[in-house]
Amino acid sequence: MTRVALLRYPGTWSERDFQHAFSLVPEIETEILWHEDADLRGFDAAIVPGGFTYGDYLRAGAIAKISPATKALRRFADEGKPVLGSCNGFQILCEAGLLPGALLRNAGLEYRCDWIHVRVEQERTPWTAGMAGRVLRMPIGHGEGCFVADPDTIASLEESGRVVFRYTDARGAATLESNPNGSISNIAGVTNEAGNVVGLMPHPERCVEALLGGTDGYQILANLTGALAGTAPAIYR
Amino acid sequence: MKYVATLHVRPKAEIRDPQGEAVSAALRALGFAVTAVRTGKEMVVTFDAADEPAALDAVRTMGQELLANPVIEVYEFDLKELARA
Repeated sequence: MTRVALLRYPGTWSERDFQHAFSLVPEIETEILWHEDADLRGFDAAIVPGGFTYGDYLRAGAIAKISPATKALRRFADEGKPVLGSCNGFQILCEAGLLPGALLRNAGLEYRCDWIHVRVEQERTPWTAGMAGRVLRMPIGHGEGCFVADPDTIASLEESGRVVFRYTDARGAATLESNPNGSISNIAGVTNEAGNVVGLMPHPERCVEALLGGTDGYQILANLTGALAGTAPAIYR
Repeated sequence: MKYVATLHVRPKAEIRDPQGEAVSAALRALGFAVTAVRTGKEMVVTFDAADEPAALDAVRTMGQELLANPVIEVYEFDLKELARA
């Protein structure tokens, strides 16, 4: 059994969606951990779900970064364990320095709640193994998803293949119109140097069964067991 | 000793400020010849420290660790000792 920890901070709202989504994946069990006493020992992977932790006060994800759970998560990530942050989880991972860059208010002045497309740019992660080039349709719901970093960081992310997801149209073309929030180079998700920590603005947990209007998120979550067993076509260590 | 630090946190010059752009458009709608608005935050922190060097140290750490995100923001501050009653 693969054990996945779902971190719950004050204001996290997507942990039960993740729990439901993972319940559809064979050989995975999940546990929701309260941030004050999150002990990640014995877990194989950790999820930082979406929400509005601490009301997005100060900056989205800023206050969550000093929580005990984030300290535990940093050690967990340093050990090379798979970590996935979605939406506010992505913002927390950036604020905590586990991922590069930052997420600003959307350039279009709107909270965007919509279905969008992303192209999988990198399959050497535990979450995207075997998915390179695939165009996924997933929901977003965020007001602060505009990914920015300084030009050197963006260049280094592109050169080292650390852009994992890019906003595109349905055919996989990264156009201005398909960028929902003004992110630099249409970046929707990135990974760290080791490739074990991935953050993305879309919600894979909200598109895991036909009833929800889409199933493209399922493979991202289901990839985990293969990646851990070494059976997925991933270079991820 | 009690100190009051007033921090101003602003987006870096090269970082886009969508909030400032929205305010700028709104001011133009009011008829002002506004070409740019940059928004930031002011935070007033009242705290205890042993002496002024310790207080300066503390404010810098607050700024770096939490109050500003060095990827997108810069901050400056001034520090005053609160007069004892």
